[in-house]
Amino acid sequence: MIDERHEELASLYAFELLEGAERTAFEQQLATDPELTALVAELRETAASLAHTTPAVAAPADLKARIFATIDRAEAATPTLRDNVIRPSFGIWQIFPWAAAACFALCALWLGQGYLTERTEARLLRNQQALAEVSLKTALQQLEIEREVSTKRLDEAGQKLAAATTDLGALRSQLGEARTQLTSRDQQVSTLSERIAALASGSTALERQLADSRQQIAQLSADLRTQGDLARYQVTALVSMLEGSPKAVAASVWDPAKQEGVLKVDKLPALAANQDYQLWIVDPQYPNPVDGGVFTVDPQTGAQKVSYKAKQPVSSVAAFAVTLERKGGVPKAEGPFVLLGN
Amino acid sequence: MPPTPPDERQQLDARLVQRIAAGDRGALGELYDRFSGPLLGSAVRILRDQAEAQDVVHDVFVVMWEKAGTFDTARGNAFAWAVTLVRNRAIDRVRMRRRRAELLDGAALSDLGYAESTGASSGGEAVTQGEDALAVRAAVATLPPEQQRALELAFFGGFTQEEIARQLAQPLGTIKARIRRGLLKLRDSLASRP
Repeated sequence: MIDERHEELASLYAFELLEGAERTAFEQQLATDPELTALVAELRETAASLAHTTPAVAAPADLKARIFATIDRAEAATPTLRDNVIRPSFGIWQIFPWAAAACFALCALWLGQGYLTERTEARLLRNQQALAEVSLKTALQQLEIEREVSTKRLDEAGQKLAAATTDLGALRSQLGEARTQLTSRDQQVSTLSERIAALASGSTALERQLADSRQQIAQLSADLRTQGDLARYQVTALVSMLEGSPKAVAASVWDPAKQEGVLKVDKLPALAANQDYQLWIVDPQYPNPVDGGVFTVDPQTGAQKVSYKAKQPVSSVAAFAVTLERKGGVPKAEGPFVLLGN
Repeated sequence: MPPTPPDERQQLDARLVQRIAAGDRGALGELYDRFSGPLLGSAVRILRDQAEAQDVVHDVFVVMWEKAGTFDTARGNAFAWAVTLVRNRAIDRVRMRRRRAELLDGAALSDLGYAESTGASSGGEAVTQGEDALAVRAAVATLPPEQQRALELAFFGGFTQEEIARQLAQPLGTIKARIRRGLLKLRDSLASRP
């Protein structure tokens, strides 16, 4: 029983599709397996029958003649080309009488054997020569095919070389363009780097400006706070009430929140030793001005700057007044008005 | 005229070969008349070249004349012997030529003529194929198309197993199986014909 594996090998072998070690191994099996050998013979015959699947082609009229001409030429050189069993004719010997044959039997047998041997060898050599000529013809045809293949290869190699040269030129051109583009890109990158640096620098300047602005804002805020403070101060200018000292002036800055203030006077007449100037704060809620304290002035310039506090809570200042009083001051104004302002 | 049984045809072929072995030129002429059409058709199919195909057939008949004495009828019929001689020589040439085709960026099946229908009629169809041809064609037609294709490439293509697998875009194992099944079925079909 032949398994599928060997059926497959036999099928491939029938088509000459087994190669190398696989073929060698299969042929070794064939040598010892008659059943497998029979299967191969069947499959080879079946494979050969596939020749019938293609339309027959009528041979040209001269082909048959060419075949016989070739055979004739080969046999002209040798009596027969075929690998047949040699069939020597003994007719020539049969024409001799048996008596003569008996006389020369031993000699004739020896000569005949020698002759046949030589003839057989000569025919074999001629057959080999004829086969060699056929092989030579086939080899020459194959060489011609090889030459055509080589020529074709050479031509195609030349074409490929030309195409490769063209491609190389194109690639070089592309390389040049790529280099130009690269240079351009480098320049763009350099320009962008410069711009980035400039922007970074500008950013630093802006940061500085921002810091300055913040300082200015802080300063302005401080100023505004100062101005706010000033706003809540009450500033009053006092003018002279003295005919003899018309240029005497004073200014009072009053802080209602703290109930205190600063008075700055100038060009007031010098005081006698027993006299003081006394500041008064006029608040409508009181029937009499509120005492702001006494002060003296520089006898030479009549100037002074003094801080004062109201002796009573002041809610609203209607006016400031300075009177000339006895030394140490009085609870209620008695002397003449020196300065007045509202 | 009633068809000749295949066994009788084979026996007739065998007798012709025996006569050729005995130096009968007439027998060679008769065998030529019987075989030259399908042999030349096969050679043309494989080689795709009339002149080369004629050279192959010429050489094969010369070899048959020379080697007829070595032909053993027990090992196969005469037609199979002749076909094998033609096919081997033609495929040798095809393989040489294919190297050229490979230089032309690969040989497609159509380039080599294998995409054509095996049953297509041609001018050569006018030449009778005989009962064997009709029987083989009928038997091949019963095979699945993929087995037909595998056998066709294996016989006429001159490809290796791997090349057939590539041509048909199938795994190698599949191709081997198709060749085995196809060939066995074809054998059985031909054996069972009347």
